[in-house]
Amino acid sequence: MISANRLTKRFGSRTAVNDVSLEIGRSEIVALLGPNGAGKTTTLRMLAGLIAPTSGTVAIDGVQLTRSTGSMLRSRIGFLTEAPGVWDRLTVRENLMIYARLYALERPKRAVDGMLERLEMTDRSGARAAELSKGLRQKVSLARALLHEPTILLLDEPTSGLDPEITRSVRRLLAERREAGCAILVSTHNLDEADRIADRVAVLHERLIAVDPPATLRRRLATGRILVRIAGDPSRYADVVRRFDPNVSIEGSVLTLRAPEDDLERTPALVAALVAAGAEILEVRHETPALEDVYLHLVSDR
Amino acid sequence: MRVRALVLKEFLDLQRNRGALLPVALVMLLSLGMPFVITIGVPLATSQHLGEDPGLVRVSASAGPHGELSADARVQFFLFQQFLMLFLMTPITAAMALAAHAIVGEKQARTLEPLLATPVTTGELLIAKVLGALLPTSAISFAGVALYFAGIAMLGAPGVLRAMITPRTALLVFVIGPAVALVSLQAAIVISSRVNDARTAQQFGVLIIVPLAAVLVAQFVGTLWLSTGALGFIGLGLFGVWMLLALLSVAVFDRESILTRWR
Repeated sequence: MISANRLTKRFGSRTAVNDVSLEIGRSEIVALLGPNGAGKTTTLRMLAGLIAPTSGTVAIDGVQLTRSTGSMLRSRIGFLTEAPGVWDRLTVRENLMIYARLYALERPKRAVDGMLERLEMTDRSGARAAELSKGLRQKVSLARALLHEPTILLLDEPTSGLDPEITRSVRRLLAERREAGCAILVSTHNLDEADRIADRVAVLHERLIAVDPPATLRRRLATGRILVRIAGDPSRYADVVRRFDPNVSIEGSVLTLRAPEDDLERTPALVAALVAAGAEILEVRHETPALEDVYLHLVSDR
Repeated sequence: MRVRALVLKEFLDLQRNRGALLPVALVMLLSLGMPFVITIGVPLATSQHLGEDPGLVRVSASAGPHGELSADARVQFFLFQQFLMLFLMTPITAAMALAAHAIVGEKQARTLEPLLATPVTTGELLIAKVLGALLPTSAISFAGVALYFAGIAMLGAPGVLRAMITPRTALLVFVIGPAVALVSLQAAIVISSRVNDARTAQQFGVLIIVPLAAVLVAQFVGTLWLSTGALGFIGLGLFGVWMLLALLSVAVFDRESILTRWR
């Protein structure tokens, strides 16, 4: 488990991160969202022990990250930097072997072979890093971050610029690490990704604006409406629907009625009433805002 | 273990980028060729024996009487001893070419941040950087010295090689050489940790040649002849300076500035 307690970082007169407290538990993925310059990378660097906070503390499994504990605690962290940062003249295998030795793995060759296999890169292990595409370089750097099976994973834009296939394999890998008990913090601009993989989403804009599961965040902007799309003229069924909401509106083939979050159990009754009235229902859905809408709302509200 | 891993990385990198060692090899070839051109080639070309030049005979006396040698051989011995100092330049060239690039290069290639995120300590990183540059250049330097002595054996006047094999020579080659290399490499590492581009590091680093060149010139004009004892003290002093520089390099290595302010 990793916890940040009131982390603040100032560069001269500029405050990059202000009073951020966050705890990521075992088997949890937290997505860190925020606009450019919001302090995401600085937060990750402080959590990784790369830069010292101006004030506040970081603790890993209860041990405070300090100058003297830094080396020991960094061995528990896998850190994926924004740029792949692979040594271009070295092959994929050589890059990973050096890191396996830096982490003092007992069987470095076995660890590297295993990781290459998991990332389906065995056939490229002899290629020099300079020859790889951006996606493959990113995969190498991810392999490097995972090589020592860290209990904490800090990932800065892990799928930035990757094609959908590689993106999916990265997400699968993160899910595996979560299952293995890893505490994972992913900084990303990709809201869809955050929605798909994160247990909680932290929105940062110098300060932490919100930390909640995506569904909870969505509820903040929830409109509480049910949309019913019907074949044919929907106005024929307006009276049926008015029993559930007198202010029903009709637009095209869609009937829209208000349904508060705590009153969604009325939906089956509504569907049954419409079917009984002879309506051919094409679609029923509760209108929920996209995470993007929530994010933009939170950031612009600041 | 971690230092070994990083040194291995430096070797692998160098193996794929042999051009980085080209300046070192060139300096070594110059150090190797120039003494024989001056000591053997020029007298042959001009038909003038070195032992007939009163100036050279007077200056060469500073290297000791060596009564067993002919006048020619005494001057040759003196000159070959002085030119031995040139081999000290080889690792300095390496310092400029490799060590000055050590930290700045990693930063510019954006490979430093993942490295600093590992358990590697600043001391380990910097030691590895020094060793990664010192070991290959010392190997080139020692190979050069071996060729130098082979050349003296083949081309030098009788008795010169034997006179050259002294504790002073051993001290120069095995103590002063590596010590100068360590000091220059460590100084280059300190500079590389504090500036944000390799060219600046090289420009600062080249200053290390100044004291060495002064010693070289003073020896050639006969105003200075460093005895075995003096060289021993200089060697100890250099190792002391290296240790101070090593401590300084760890102290001035500011991870935060390097990561956040260098572009």
